[in-house]
Amino acid sequence: MANTNQGEVMLKMTDIHKSYDQLDVLKGIDLEVRRGEVLAIIGPSGSGKSTLLRCINKLETIDKGSIAIKDRFLVQTKDGEARYANGKEEREILASTGMVFQQFNLFPHMTVLENLLEAPMQVKGLKRSEVEPYARELLDKVGLSDRADYYPSQLSGGQQQRVAIARALCMKPDIMLFDEPTSALDPELTGEVLKTMRELAAEHMTMVVVTHEMAFAREAASHVIFMAEGNIVEQGEPEVFFAAPKEERTKAFLQNML
Amino acid sequence: MEKLWDTFLLMLDGSEITLEIFFVTLILALPLGMLAALGRLSTFKLVSRLVEFYIWIMRGTPLMLQLLFVYFALPMIGIRLPDIAAALLAFTLNYAAYFAEIFRAGIQAVPKGQYEAAKTLGMSYPQTMRRIILPQVIRIVLPPVSNETINLVKDTSLVYILAMNDLLRVARTIVQREFDMTPFLFAAIFYLVMTFVLTWGFKKLEAYYGKY
Repeated sequence: MANTNQGEVMLKMTDIHKSYDQLDVLKGIDLEVRRGEVLAIIGPSGSGKSTLLRCINKLETIDKGSIAIKDRFLVQTKDGEARYANGKEEREILASTGMVFQQFNLFPHMTVLENLLEAPMQVKGLKRSEVEPYARELLDKVGLSDRADYYPSQLSGGQQQRVAIARALCMKPDIMLFDEPTSALDPELTGEVLKTMRELAAEHMTMVVVTHEMAFAREAASHVIFMAEGNIVEQGEPEVFFAAPKEERTKAFLQNML
Repeated sequence: MEKLWDTFLLMLDGSEITLEIFFVTLILALPLGMLAALGRLSTFKLVSRLVEFYIWIMRGTPLMLQLLFVYFALPMIGIRLPDIAAALLAFTLNYAAYFAEIFRAGIQAVPKGQYEAAKTLGMSYPQTMRRIILPQVIRIVLPPVSNETINLVKDTSLVYILAMNDLLRVARTIVQREFDMTPFLFAAIFYLVMTFVLTWGFKKLEAYYGKY
């Protein structure tokens, strides 16, 4: 974080608690992401890392704590109760986030280009002519300009995930959230998706990435968080974190992964 | 030969009632079924329960009984409908219930990730339903809807108990009067042709919605 400490705070999560029934999934998480940072969240399955990510854009709600995106509160806790911003404000706040899912979740009945155009046209009310050049530019960037008129089912998993990244970018978000973006891919297809993500990081896109790809976390992340059982066990800059983990839990996990 | 032609014309008359019931029921029951499906999936427990009850009644009793009820029982509590309206009411309510269950299953078959993707792109619930979910639902429900529609063609013949001169009743009247079985043959051919056209139409629709 040393060189980016000056940047604007894009995301601030404070004392996040969440439980399903009796099970505490998140037990008081604090984190902060500044503009241009890439935060990698790693940890064993069931550690709550995906849930934490999904709380950022309200795919999951929290029980306690606060989340602020670009200094606006999505949710804050008053009198022990988590209160979310009202509908209009919430939409505005969430508009600065984009998400990429493990299962891609492309719209199967639309072509690649239509997938990209859908939200800008429907949500922002833009004309096709206003979005299409940018959409094609993005497809070019993810190396799929020749697949614009294909349906998702005609693409490989890696290609679909790159389309999903382009689709999220087409709404011009300030923060990109990645929920295990390569976990559903065959090993030989993860490379192309990680390459696209590295390029995005190199352009100083602010990113929060839940991942099992240690190599990616090590090379592309500016900060790494290791979670287990709903807590942050250890965190730091990747060089230090991977070279000399302090906690036993972290050491054991990394040993297994590498 | 001339007699055959007369029979044909009489039956053409009867087919008008059959076609009217068929098309009007379809046009009314499809959107009503969609509404009921959304109601059934509503998070408002009361709405969901009411729709569930309605579907249970409609699927749990014979269509014939429902026709008789609308036609004979409703007038007793002061609701008197013209013949055709009574038949259409019963048919529409009955078929909407079946369509509702088909649509509900179709909506539930669309993966949750589709809603989540639409949500993270900022789409509202109505936008998500209209643009993302329903087009996928149509593809899923086309085969069962096709099935129900073909059933409807044949179910229209039930209106004979309301003394309405549909195709089958006309055929039976002529058969009884003339001791000639050809009207039954005509009727069978009519139903078969309609079913054939519907099957063909749904095949086209399935090809159109299945292009991805």
